[in-house]
Amino acid sequence: MFSRLGAILKKEFRELIRDPLYLSLTLFVPVIILILMGYGLILDVKNIPVAFLDFDRSALSRDYRHSFTNSEYFKFHSLVGSYKEAYELIQSGKCRVVVVIPPDFSRKLYSSKPTEVQFIVDGSFPSRAEIIKGYVSAINNQFNQNLLYNFSLMKGVSVKFPVDAELRAWYNPALESKNFILPGMLVTTLMFYPVLIASLVVVREKESGSIFNLYCSPVRTWEVVFGKAIPYITVSFVTYLILFIITVGVFNTKFIGSFFVLTLATLLYLACTIGVGIFISTIAKTQITAMLIAFLGTITPSFMYSGFFSPVTSMGITGQIMSKFVTATYFIGVVRGVYLKGLGLSHYLPNILSLILYALAVYCLAILFFRKRIG
Amino acid sequence: MRLISLIKKEMLQLLRDRVLIFILLWAFTGMIYTAGSGISLEVKNFPTIIYDMSHSLESRELVSKFQKPYFKILAYVNTEKEITEWLDSGKASMAVIIPPDFKRNIDGQGAKIQVIIDGTMSMSATMAVSYVATITYKYAIELLERKMGVTQKFFNDIPILDERTRVEFNPNTLTSWFMSLLELFNVTTMVSLLLTSAALVREKEYGTIEQLLVTPVRTWEIFFAKIFPTCLSVGAFSLISIFLMIKGVFKVPIRGSLFLFYPVMIFYVFTMSSLGIAIATVARNLAQSMMLMLVILTPMLMLSGAWTPPESMQTIMRYLSLISPMRYFIDFGYSVLFKGSGIKYVWDDVLGIVVIGIVLFTFSAYRFRKNFAK
Repeated sequence: MFSRLGAILKKEFRELIRDPLYLSLTLFVPVIILILMGYGLILDVKNIPVAFLDFDRSALSRDYRHSFTNSEYFKFHSLVGSYKEAYELIQSGKCRVVVVIPPDFSRKLYSSKPTEVQFIVDGSFPSRAEIIKGYVSAINNQFNQNLLYNFSLMKGVSVKFPVDAELRAWYNPALESKNFILPGMLVTTLMFYPVLIASLVVVREKESGSIFNLYCSPVRTWEVVFGKAIPYITVSFVTYLILFIITVGVFNTKFIGSFFVLTLATLLYLACTIGVGIFISTIAKTQITAMLIAFLGTITPSFMYSGFFSPVTSMGITGQIMSKFVTATYFIGVVRGVYLKGLGLSHYLPNILSLILYALAVYCLAILFFRKRIG
Repeated sequence: MRLISLIKKEMLQLLRDRVLIFILLWAFTGMIYTAGSGISLEVKNFPTIIYDMSHSLESRELVSKFQKPYFKILAYVNTEKEITEWLDSGKASMAVIIPPDFKRNIDGQGAKIQVIIDGTMSMSATMAVSYVATITYKYAIELLERKMGVTQKFFNDIPILDERTRVEFNPNTLTSWFMSLLELFNVTTMVSLLLTSAALVREKEYGTIEQLLVTPVRTWEIFFAKIFPTCLSVGAFSLISIFLMIKGVFKVPIRGSLFLFYPVMIFYVFTMSSLGIAIATVARNLAQSMMLMLVILTPMLMLSGAWTPPESMQTIMRYLSLISPMRYFIDFGYSVLFKGSGIKYVWDDVLGIVVIGIVLFTFSAYRFRKNFAK
């Protein structure tokens, strides 16, 4: 029984090694992607270009402007003279926010009256707009507290600010997006790339006709499926090792967990993703179809539905359903946990169990759909 | 004439593959639907636990402000250990701790609540933090109002800055508008690269390209015939997508001119197809071309400027991104469709797409001739 599986394994390994260009591509492509994205994908919202439409031009309004430009979040772009210029800057995307200070800004504040400041925020990237709004409020709150403090000193009454929140971020104290992107990239890369390399293995033989050799041999379907899966799991496991070294070695991502737990979960995860690829390959009739399904079904979904950018809990119902099909959803919790939280194996049992179930389902489907007959 | 029959052949080949057509249709409708309706980048139902040591009227009042849609209170805990467990397991992402002397300090020197947030997802954590700050700030103002007794009059008498924020183009910061357009741009990019490249590689693998080469057709005719079906199908499907999904389902206000957007988009598809041909001339089989496309496509999609705008990129990456046609296309697409910008604002993007298109076209035509010269 295992001799047949062994024979298929031998054949598949040989086929892999005989195409050295392909083999080196499978090893280097994920590395290049990880490095490019590790440097390029920055989700910290910092250095937001801000312009001011200051109708007041007083000492107080200048102080107020400085409270923006002195923070690391905003970067001074320009002082504009009219609404028209302000809108032009927003329209062209040169500025993400324009602060409009009214002409009676300082007069009103000095005479102890409330004043209104207008903010025009570029909403073309809604999540960033939302973060910018938060920063703006934070700066205004600070400014108001100072105003209030000075006011109470002046009046001789004590108007203390009654409630304040003290924030602490666990696992990633500085809320650096690096610590969140790189483990995430490990997950997504190991999601789309094994699916892609495995998505052609069966359909290629279908197109070239060599599948008939398998059809008329005594080999069982499960032997074919596993015979094709194992070599690719091996290759992507090597890739995983390289990727891991890069995240920790090159990018200095925080890693406090156990390498053993991560590796164990990764093996399961790779079995799942390679299985997905083989499943696509068994249902597709042509290589183009298989490739399209693999590309469209993995690259953007692995980023969007897995919980990479935003937690699954905030997704809409369609997004939550989609996330159940994306393998990365089950793995991302383990990876972020191991990298940043450093918990023991027992914390990941639900995730690992889900991965096992996922693997079982995928391989059953692949074996079921791999029919040893024509048409 | 020869060109027409070649195009006819390519079109037939494309249309015969029913599964392929179905996948394309799904990509331009279903995928855009799930992306637009399923993904929300704003923080919603942020799983929160409360550790209230004060048990006072004020603390309950403050806790009641942490509510939907932003926060979802999962549990009230009574020990520090429980907080650790909830956060470690990832079931809760935030813990609000109200100290025992909360009530006393409100009247005295100012109370401090402690908020512990799971930093593993820094983006949503940043957003949640700003919501917390707003909530406590508003509550503080409310308390001040109460303390001063007179609601309206008090606020007429103290200097306070009132912010009026207006978010242009997307007043309610709806992610669905952003995501549905982004998915359209993503799918357009992927499909135009994949289809063209795969069509050519397949002929190479089968050896049918040799058959084409022995006929009297010119090399450039084969070249154009390969690109044309992609432009046509992507063009048609994207129209369906814009009118049915983007405008129909998600009600994205298309502010700009489609007459400006559409020709540039077709040229962009042409640019990506040329890139596809260039890849196909390098690769020997589909598996190799797939790896090459992967290494080009993934960074292009994720570093297009939609996630990391150019101003936040590192300098090297900002310059590197200049060679990606998608960077210009994303900026162009959002500016025209979403912001309603005219050619005055987007001429540089159009220029970028055209220049890169010409370069890629020349390069792939050169490779193609060298590869298949007669």
